[in-house]
Amino acid sequence: MTETAPDLPEAANRRFASQAFTSGLTVPDFAACLQMGLEPVGYVQGFCVMQWGWYGLNSPYRRGISPYSGGQGGYMESWQCPHGFVSNEHRSWGQNYEQSWIEDAWGQGFGTAYSRMLKEAAAVGAHGVVGVVDTADRLGDLGVLEFHLRGTAVKVTDAPAPAGGQPWTTYLAGQRLAKLIEAGYMPISVAAAVSSVRVWAYCMTEFLLEGTSSTWGMQPAGAEIIQVASAQMAARQIAREHVRAQMAGDSLHGAELVVSEHQLSEGDQEIQCLLRGNRVRRFKDFDPMPVPHPTVRLS
Amino acid sequence: MSDDPQGLPEATSHRLEELEHGLFTSDLSVNEFLLIKEVGFHPLGFVMGSSIYHTGIQTRKWGQSQELTKLTEAMYNARELAMTRMEEEAAELGADGVVGVRLDVNYYEWGKDAAEFIAVGTAVKAESGVSHRNKLGKPFTSDLSGQDFWTLMQTGYIPQGLVMGTCVYHIAHRGLGQTLGSAGQNIELPNFTQALYEARELAMTRMQDEADRLGASGIVGVRLEEKSHQWGSHTIEFLSLGTAVVKTSNDVTLPTPTTIISLDN
Repeated sequence: MTETAPDLPEAANRRFASQAFTSGLTVPDFAACLQMGLEPVGYVQGFCVMQWGWYGLNSPYRRGISPYSGGQGGYMESWQCPHGFVSNEHRSWGQNYEQSWIEDAWGQGFGTAYSRMLKEAAAVGAHGVVGVVDTADRLGDLGVLEFHLRGTAVKVTDAPAPAGGQPWTTYLAGQRLAKLIEAGYMPISVAAAVSSVRVWAYCMTEFLLEGTSSTWGMQPAGAEIIQVASAQMAARQIAREHVRAQMAGDSLHGAELVVSEHQLSEGDQEIQCLLRGNRVRRFKDFDPMPVPHPTVRLS
Repeated sequence: MSDDPQGLPEATSHRLEELEHGLFTSDLSVNEFLLIKEVGFHPLGFVMGSSIYHTGIQTRKWGQSQELTKLTEAMYNARELAMTRMEEEAAELGADGVVGVRLDVNYYEWGKDAAEFIAVGTAVKAESGVSHRNKLGKPFTSDLSGQDFWTLMQTGYIPQGLVMGTCVYHIAHRGLGQTLGSAGQNIELPNFTQALYEARELAMTRMQDEADRLGASGIVGVRLEEKSHQWGSHTIEFLSLGTAVVKTSNDVTLPTPTTIISLDN
């Protein structure tokens, strides 16, 4: 490896030109990789800084479909106030809708950082990238989100160059990766997707969220907040569908679901759901593992 | 600071003299101590080095992303001084290396813009008498725990030194025009991507240059740390740290791990 990739910063090419490898692996993971016949060749990374905001219902800048016009195949659900006219402030309708433009922007940021990491990996002639870590952090007060993916590029000892030039990637490293391969699966790529559901509360939801006892005598105490519950379910469902669409017949291993909520203003919140995991493919039958020795710790 | 251990404080020489008479101090846990003994090393003593450094501030252009070279140098030199002093203590003890090195930065109320950089670790020496010092003839340093040290030795690699690289970078503020120009869109800002990418790559390249000087075959356990210290949110230090290792044999003597099932609970 010494060919330089034109899209990478000058410092990156200089770093790869050096003889020494760098690896972000811990020593136990490093040892397990050597045992599996994987040789670390370099620490690789990719970035993408995106301008970021929760543009939605209130924003004159929102992009994508109008929530009023109905979804274009996306999730949308609305609620009507059962009380008739009360006052101008009364929230007489409520809506949940999928914010596909936020999902797309997230996908673009993650995807761009991912492909840049792959480009670094290809530049060092890697077969795969293990121990991938991804983060999306806000930078200072800039209103920007930085996507950062990094991992350790590895070569399979004495193997020909990777087919198609595309290295495989996985969040796993060390013994966890060894166990996966022993179980008859090989890593294909990391898989991740975000879903974003906006909740615009109607009167019943608002009262229940505030925890005030219902003035309207319609709901008993401890009632389910149906609008929020269905938004939560929809967000998880959409994230799973997005990731399933990336699988192309492979399996997802070690999935992790992270749900976060952002309160944008009163009665207006976003539920975001991040699903990530390892896309894996069966390549051989399961080898029964050696029977484990029972142990008892003397401490 | 010279390599002459006479440069160390008086209390140090006294403490080190006691250590030379066979008493050892170490911050190793019992398990780490046993594992280090198992691979044929003996702890000699707890060693440290420190440097109080005035880091100051550098003028930054409001709207420009750039490296702040003066701050980069200050952060680097201060750590280097602390590390060198720790190495001197270890050399005074006749150590082959230092394991479990920790690098910390402390800020005190009495020193505006001053920071104390401190390096601590446990000096070790091979019981066989064979020197394990690095290419520069100095004790190796590493942030490996006793467990990591043991595991690494089984893979045919040996640590050469804790290597680091740093880059202090100022991230541009965005002007009103720029902000409005892209308002309302979640889009990539290539200038920022490039600036941060460059900053981290610079830190990693500098770390790798250090490893090259040690004739290392690789660096394990690389960490990228990001801190704003006391400079405000637009100035970030990217610090890259890892342990440079060199391959001494092709034999991986690490036995195949045994599967166990714990009956504790």
